[in-house]
Amino acid sequence: MSQRIPLSWLQLKHEKMKLFAAVAGVMVSVVLMWMQLGLMKALFASAVVFHGSMNGELVIVHSQYEHLLHSKVFSSRLLYRLRGSPDVSDVFSIYLAPGEWKNPWNGEMRSIQCYGIETDNASLKLPGIEQHLLQLRNTDVFLYDRMARPRFGDVVGAVERREPVELELNRRRMSLAGVVDLGASFGVDGNVLVSHANFLRLFPERKSGEIDVGVVKLRPGISVVSAQKQFQKVLGKEVQVLTVEQFKELELIYWRSATPIGIIFTAGTVVGFFIGFIVVYQILYTDVTNHLPQYATMKAMGFSDGYLYQLVLGQSVQLATMGFIPGSLIAAAMYAGLRKVTQLPLYMEPMRGVFLIFATILMCTFSGMLAVRKLRSADPADVF
Amino acid sequence: MKTDDSKAVITGAGINFSFGQGELRKQILFDVELAIQPGEIVLLTGPSGSGKTTLLTLIAGLRKLQEGRLDVLGHSLHNASQIDLLQLRRKIGFIFQAHNLLPYLTALQNVQVMFDLQPDVTIKEGRERATRMLQQVGLGERMNYHVSRLSGGQKQRVAIARALVGRPELVLADEPTAALDGTSGREVVNLLQSLAREQKRPILMVTHDVRVLDIADRIIEMQDGHLTASSRGSSSAENHPAKGVQNEPDIANVTL
Repeated sequence: MSQRIPLSWLQLKHEKMKLFAAVAGVMVSVVLMWMQLGLMKALFASAVVFHGSMNGELVIVHSQYEHLLHSKVFSSRLLYRLRGSPDVSDVFSIYLAPGEWKNPWNGEMRSIQCYGIETDNASLKLPGIEQHLLQLRNTDVFLYDRMARPRFGDVVGAVERREPVELELNRRRMSLAGVVDLGASFGVDGNVLVSHANFLRLFPERKSGEIDVGVVKLRPGISVVSAQKQFQKVLGKEVQVLTVEQFKELELIYWRSATPIGIIFTAGTVVGFFIGFIVVYQILYTDVTNHLPQYATMKAMGFSDGYLYQLVLGQSVQLATMGFIPGSLIAAAMYAGLRKVTQLPLYMEPMRGVFLIFATILMCTFSGMLAVRKLRSADPADVF
Repeated sequence: MKTDDSKAVITGAGINFSFGQGELRKQILFDVELAIQPGEIVLLTGPSGSGKTTLLTLIAGLRKLQEGRLDVLGHSLHNASQIDLLQLRRKIGFIFQAHNLLPYLTALQNVQVMFDLQPDVTIKEGRERATRMLQQVGLGERMNYHVSRLSGGQKQRVAIARALVGRPELVLADEPTAALDGTSGREVVNLLQSLAREQKRPILMVTHDVRVLDIADRIIEMQDGHLTASSRGSSSAENHPAKGVQNEPDIANVTL
C-alpha cells in the first residue's frame, strides 16, 4: 500500500512556517557538518602537502625523526650507498630548518620553514618548480610559498606587479626567484625553498651532508615494499625507510595527538548532526501529535501502520533533500571564502558529499522513526 | 476465517464485553444478539453509556471480541488476527462523529486517498469516482477547496463521500449528525440514506438524534448493555431496500 497522492509532501507544505523551520534546521546541520569535516580534512591535508610532493617512492629520515618540526639529521653518505643499487633511479637530499623572515613592508620577524633542495633535479613534484630550478642556483635567492599566510607580507602582490622582492632571511639579504604552492599548516605559516648552497649560507651552523630527508626514486616496475625492506637492511638502524604514505602518516599521527583537532571537529560534526536531528524530530513529532485523530481515523478505515510510517518517513526524506541542497551550496560558498582567507585546501569532495547525504538522510529518518512511535498511541478504537 | 453462515451481513450472538480487569472490571455488553440483512438501514439508539458505541467498535473490528460469536461480512471475529481485522475494515465505510478529514488536503484528495487501499483502481479511475461521489453529495463546486474552508455540514458530506467511494460492503456510522445543526444533519442523513439505497449498502448507524429516526428500516434500542427492543423504522414500509432506490426523502415526515 503506497501513496498515490503525495500525502507526505502535501502535509509538509501545508504549514509553511513549520516547513521553513524544519528545512532551516536541516540546512544549518548540513552546513555545520560540511564545515567541520572539511576543516578537519583540510587542516590535516595541509600538514602533509610537502610530504605528498616527494618526487620518489621512498623517504629516508633519521630513526628519531618524529615530524617536520622535530627532525634529526643524518649523513647523506648513507644515501649514496643506495645510488649504486640497480633498483634506484635517483636519490635526493633535503635540508630543513625554521628560518627568521623579516617582513620587508613592516619589518616584523616571523618564523618560516626553509627547505634546502637539489637544483639539478626536481626533488619535489610541485607545479611550476622546474622553471625556477636554474635561477635557484644563484647565490642568495629563494622560492616563496604563494599560499603562505599573509603575515609575511604581500610578496605575491609584488610578484604580480613585477616588482623585485628583496628581504632579510636569517639576517641575510635574499632576493625572490619565484613562487610555488605549498601552503601553511599547524606548525608552519609559510615555506621557503632554497638551494643546498644557499641553505648552508642561511644556516651556517648546519654542516654540509648532514641532511634531514632523503628521497629515493625507484626505477619503473620496482616493488616499493620489497625495496623498502631491502634498503632498511642496507642502511641499518640509524635511519627509517618509509613509503610516502607512511611519511605522511607519521606527520598526521603527531598532529592528531598533539592537537585536539580530530576530537574538536568530530564533536562539531556530531553536534551538527544532532541539531538537525532535534529540529526535525521536534517538528515531525508535533506534526504527528497534531494529526493523531486523523491518523487514528485512517487506521480505523483500514490504512496499515506501514502506510502511516511511510507518510511520516516520506516527510523525513523530503526534509533531508530540501535541507541538503541549499546547505551544501552555502557550504560551498563558505569553503571558497575560507580557502581565500586561510589558504587551507578546503574542497567539496564528492566522497564527503556522499557521506553527508547519507548522514542527512539518516538524521531525518532517525528523527522520523522516533516521531512515528507516537503513532502507536493513535488507537483506532477511540475514534468512535 | 470465512464463514458460510448465512447471507446476513452481520450476525452476532452471546456477545459479552467488559472493560478493565479484576475489581475494576465493568461489563458493557450482556449477551447481545443481532443480525443485519443486506441492504438494511439499521439505527442503534439508546442513552449514553448503554454500550452502543462499544458494539459498533466490535463490529468494526476495532476491538477484540471477548466472548460470543460475531460474523461480519464473512469474517468470523472470534480470535481474528490483526491482519484479518484490517482486511475487514477495508470493506467497511466509516462515518465518524468527528469527520477527521486530513486538513492539508482538498475535499477531492481526501476522498481520493481511499483508493490507496485499493491498488487495483487506477489513479485516473479513482479520481473520476471521487469526483462523481463528491458531485453526488453536492460538493461538485467545492471539490478543490481545502477542507478547512468548508462548513461543518460540508465536511461531513466529504466524510460520507470518503466512506462510500470505495463501494464498501457495509457502512458504519457513529452519530454523524451530532456536530451538525438540524438542517445540515437532516441533509446528511438523507444523503446517506439515498446513497446507501442506490448502492444497496447496509448501514448500521449509532445515533440518539431523534430527528433522523425516520430513515431507518429498523431501530434497535440498547439499555445498559442489553438490546431491549427492535422496531420497524418508519422508512421501512414504503422503502424496503429490496424495492431499490429511494428518492429524496419526504421532509414532512421528519420528527423534529
